[in-house]
This record gives sequence, structure tokens and C-alpha cells, in this order.
Amino acid sequence: MSGDTLVLDLVLAGLLVFLAWRLLTLSDLFKATVLFIVFGVLLSLAWVRLNAPDVALAEAAIGAGVTGALVLDALRRLDARGPADEAQPLRLNLPRLVGALLVMGLGAFLLWSVLSLPPGWRGLSSETAAAMPRSGVVNPVTASLLNFRGYDTLLEIAVLMLAVLGVWTLNAEPMPPAEPAGPILDVLVKALLPPMVVVAGYLLWAGGHAPGGAFQGAAVLAAGGILLHLARPFNVANRGVVRLVIGFGFAVFLLVGLTLATLGGRFLELPERHAGILILMIETAAMISIALTFVVLFVGNARDNAGRDTS
Amino acid sequence: MTEFMFLMAAAVLGSVALGLWRVVRGPTRADAMMAAQLVGSGGVAVLLLLSHAMGRAHLVDVALVVVLLAAMVSVAFVRRLGPVRGDDGTE
Repeated sequence: MSGDTLVLDLVLAGLLVFLAWRLLTLSDLFKATVLFIVFGVLLSLAWVRLNAPDVALAEAAIGAGVTGALVLDALRRLDARGPADEAQPLRLNLPRLVGALLVMGLGAFLLWSVLSLPPGWRGLSSETAAAMPRSGVVNPVTASLLNFRGYDTLLEIAVLMLAVLGVWTLNAEPMPPAEPAGPILDVLVKALLPPMVVVAGYLLWAGGHAPGGAFQGAAVLAAGGILLHLARPFNVANRGVVRLVIGFGFAVFLLVGLTLATLGGRFLELPERHAGILILMIETAAMISIALTFVVLFVGNARDNAGRDTS
Repeated sequence: MTEFMFLMAAAVLGSVALGLWRVVRGPTRADAMMAAQLVGSGGVAVLLLLSHAMGRAHLVDVALVVVLLAAMVSVAFVRRLGPVRGDDGTE
């Protein structure tokens, strides 16, 4: 780090620590939510300064954007139950204790695995650089996520499907009916939706040679869906079509892996000649599925069918 | 020139951060949200400056995503917790 960047980095780091402290100590959940969104934007800047633009993109899109909207929505549902809900202290009971111990154990394990690395280890960057010509893409992050470590990404997509199952299983607070959108919101949706779809497609394509990829594209696409839902509430109920689209990305990924395995290769080991097109195929399917997943997480368990009581 | 851009980025960041005072003080929820949006706009400016200073053209993409997502978050705020609805007595 040279002198000319020092001021910026100090301001950024100081702000991040200050925000983290404030958003954990504020008792007002709304203020904490706003600080959380600000924290996401600044964290994205920090990733830029750490030369990790892919992570910066994901943090801005998912951490600040989609999660910000999700938390605001959750806050609205909490408000409907009254402010008393905010002040409820969390008591330590057995399930919470077990959960806390598990999380702390995992943290200790991660800390131990970092500390047990050989001193002076440079990471896997030289191995990655050596394997790049065989990966089918130019961006090493995309190569790692979709080719070298395809397993991780496959399971990440599966985790998102589990999150949807969780939302559909939970009986969340129903959303009070919204007022019809005003003319300004209508114009905004019409102006923003097309660029969002284009940018999502662009990020997906750019992932091959620059920061971008399925998750980032999906977040922007989902932002369009959430925007539309906010203006004109629609339902993404637990129906066959919705389930099909949500499972689509995982299915394509798995199918590619299994096909390669049956054709004589190994599971998820992309052949050098077709790696580029296979990665694009998997990412396109994954982006559509992840985008719908985010929208479903936002819309929640919409109970349009009569017969299920809300009390 | 590069050094100047880094300094400008720090100045932009520091000045929009002053808006965070409004998040803590309020008085209305809209004030807090506007401060967050200000940080979003300032963040875009910082990203564009860094894109030049660090010589990384694709940081403009990050700025583009911040713009689109910030618009969505502000709509989420207005539609879900907007000052018009003010139903919990905090307004």
C-alpha cells in the first residue's frame, strides 16, 4: 500500500468498523437496517481496494441490494406485529445454546485451518494460472467457480433451493395489501426494468473474461422482479412451473456432470474443447433459477388459496 | 493525477459519510433512507474515480450495478415502510 491510497483506505476501514459497531448496538431495527445497507455498499468498495472486483460486484448486488430489500420487507412484517416485538430479549435456551456452540466450533475450526497453513504459502494462484488455458474462460474466478471447483457452486445452488423450501414451509406474516402504484413508480418501473434485464445478460456474458457471472446477473435480474412486485404485487406460489424453473439451474449443472461421467470422463470435469460453451450453458440456467429464487425469497409464502387461516 | 483521484475518492467518501448522522438522528425514516441513498451515489462516484486511478475499466460495471440496485432498494423502502404509511407512530 502506497502513500497516495492511504487516506482513502483509512477512511474506508474506519467507516466500516464504525458502521459494524453501530448497526449491532442500535436498538432501533430500522436504523440498523439502513446502516446495514450502507455497510454493504462500503464493503463493496473495500473489496475493490483489495483487488477482488468479482466479490465487490456480488457484495453490491446481493449483500447491499437484494438483502437490503429483503430486510426492509422483513421489517415491515415485524412492524405489523407491533413495536413490542423489537424489544423482546433473546433468552438462552438449549437449542440456542447448541446452535451457538456449533457456530463457535465451526469458527474455531476455520481459524485452525487458516493457522495450520504452511507459513509463506502463496495460495493456489500459480496453479490456477497454470490451468487457465484449459478452463474455457479467461476470468480466473469464473474458471474456479464453474470448472476447477464446480462441486462448490453446484451445492451452493442446492442451498438456495433449500432456502426456497424453507420460505414455503414457514408461515410468515402475511403482507398487508398495498396501495396501487402511483404514476411515478409506474414510469420508474418502465424505465428501469429493461436496463436491468440487459445488464443481467451483460454480467452473465462478461463473467467469462471480466468480473461478473451467474450470481451477479441473477441478483440484478431479481432486482427487476422485486421492483415489479413492489409496483404490482404478483404471486409466485408453490406451483409446478415455479418449482421447475427454480430447479432448472441445478438440474442442468447436474446433468452436464453426469453426462460427462457417463461419456468416460469424471463427474463435473469439463473437457477442454467444450468447457467455454458448457460454462456459459450452466451459468445461463443457473442465473434464471437463482433470479427466481431471490424473487420467491422476497415475495415469501403468498397464501392466495383460501382455507388457510392467517391467525 | 492518480494520487489526486485517490484523494478525491477519500473526500467524496468522507463527505457522504457525514450524512450518516441523519441515520442516527432521523427524525423521520425518510431522512435515514435518504442518507443511505447518498452513500450509494457517493459510492458510485468513488467507484468511477477508482476505476481511473486503479486502471480497472470493469469497475464501471460495479458502479452500474450499485445504481440499479439502489433504485430498487429505495422503491422497496417507499412501498414497504414509506413515510406516507407511517403506521407505527415513529413518524
